[in-house]
Amino acid sequence: MKKILFLLSLVLLFTTLPVFAGEAPTMNKDELKAQMTSEKLAILDVRSGRDWSSSEFKIKGAVRAAASDLAKLSADYKKDQKLVLYCA
Amino acid sequence: MNPSILLSLALGSGWLLSPESLVIAGNSAGQLGFLILPLLAAVALLFTGCGKLLNNQSLPATDSKEFQIIQNLTGTIPAAGITIAACVPLTVLAATALLVTAGYTFNEVFLYWFPNFGFSFLLLALLTILQLFPEKIIFRAQICFTALAAGGLIILALSGMTGGERPATEIAQQPFSFASASPAVLLFIFAGSTFSGKKQTPSFLVPLAGFVIFFLWTFASLNYVNPERLASSTIPYMTAARKILGDPGRQIMGIVIISGTSAAVTGLMLLSRHMLANIFVKKETDKKLLGTKVLRWFFPPLIAIITAVLLATGLAGDELLEVLLRSALILWLLYYSFLCLSALVWINKSEHPIPLQALLSTLFLLISLCTLMISNPHKTSIYIFIFSALGISSIIAAGWFSIHKKTNKQMEVTA
Repeated sequence: MKKILFLLSLVLLFTTLPVFAGEAPTMNKDELKAQMTSEKLAILDVRSGRDWSSSEFKIKGAVRAAASDLAKLSADYKKDQKLVLYCA
Repeated sequence: MNPSILLSLALGSGWLLSPESLVIAGNSAGQLGFLILPLLAAVALLFTGCGKLLNNQSLPATDSKEFQIIQNLTGTIPAAGITIAACVPLTVLAATALLVTAGYTFNEVFLYWFPNFGFSFLLLALLTILQLFPEKIIFRAQICFTALAAGGLIILALSGMTGGERPATEIAQQPFSFASASPAVLLFIFAGSTFSGKKQTPSFLVPLAGFVIFFLWTFASLNYVNPERLASSTIPYMTAARKILGDPGRQIMGIVIISGTSAAVTGLMLLSRHMLANIFVKKETDKKLLGTKVLRWFFPPLIAIITAVLLATGLAGDELLEVLLRSALILWLLYYSFLCLSALVWINKSEHPIPLQALLSTLFLLISLCTLMISNPHKTSIYIFIFSALGISSIIAAGWFSIHKKTNKQMEVTA
């Protein structure tokens, strides 16, 4: 029984730990909705691979971009534009 | 229905009902139109022929016959190498890919507030825990998963056939399609469908069931969704489900995807345990229990840990996962073709007549596999993956058998 409990704990530990991600500045959906029509806002869909292909929902007007090209992206947009990146 | 037939259907249908198979079927339906229906029949017939070949009376009737057949042709270490290379990478990569899809489906269809990756990890943990239970419980769960997935698809397909909506006209653009190589990708849908894990089960059972389900589903999809959209969509199953029944259709498809993922992961884990038991377990009675305690307690948590690491390191968000999964599927089909070839050699050696259907099926399987490999845009990566997997697996097998030999010799000396 101890063996079973040990193995179960091990499995749960390894499979649930990665869920806790670090914090990043965020914008909630109401804030985003309020600014959607603004020209100073650019929405970038930085999902790739299965994160993008398995998802049914895509924000209207969002442009697909690679998160790794962040430096290039900042050059592509005006300095006064707010870039909203979404990855989930 | 006879419980053993039900179980054989459930084990063989694991991969068949996975979201990946639905994507391949949807994209192919979009590309080929109604031509997909006879092609599905042809692929089902091909796998029936291969299954019939492996059930041939002149082949051994043991649980480990697949390993024995290849071993007879190549020797122990290469046979063990190709078997490990075929099942372990496919189990890990398919679990990684399918769990991501299940996570997104749960999040977008059922609970918006529940993180998609959280669901992927939770489902992985639950399916791993399931593997630690006695076989009877795993088999019952597998029957439930496949029944839910098949039932949901049939309900949606029949609803689509009785409805009268006209096809949509809009065309979506999407740069990458899994099924873009050739109609030979339909082989992926039926891959492994003849491994029922049970003897004396008709070889046509799973391919026929698969053909009926996919016939109904692709027919309904083509009646509702514009072929261009089906061909280019990354989630053609959800597009069709929404068109057929609206939001309830999405919810039914959500159940299909989650139960299909569970069935595929459980089926692949069981299949891998069965195949590894055939290599590493000596006693025939232990093999019947899908391996020893070691395989039961060690293999599923190991696969879960590797899958969790792959998920956590972001492989799901990398195009590389698609290439790796495709490579693993091709390697699986390569193993299966090699098994059929070895079976033909065995029958020929035993001076029994070779059935024509079996011969033709093996030939067509090999031709289709070559087409798949040659026409693939990522063929270099696929070759590298195949050779690496075969090399590493052979080294593991050689190491295992050399240690095992030494231990046996030491035991003999002590005795």
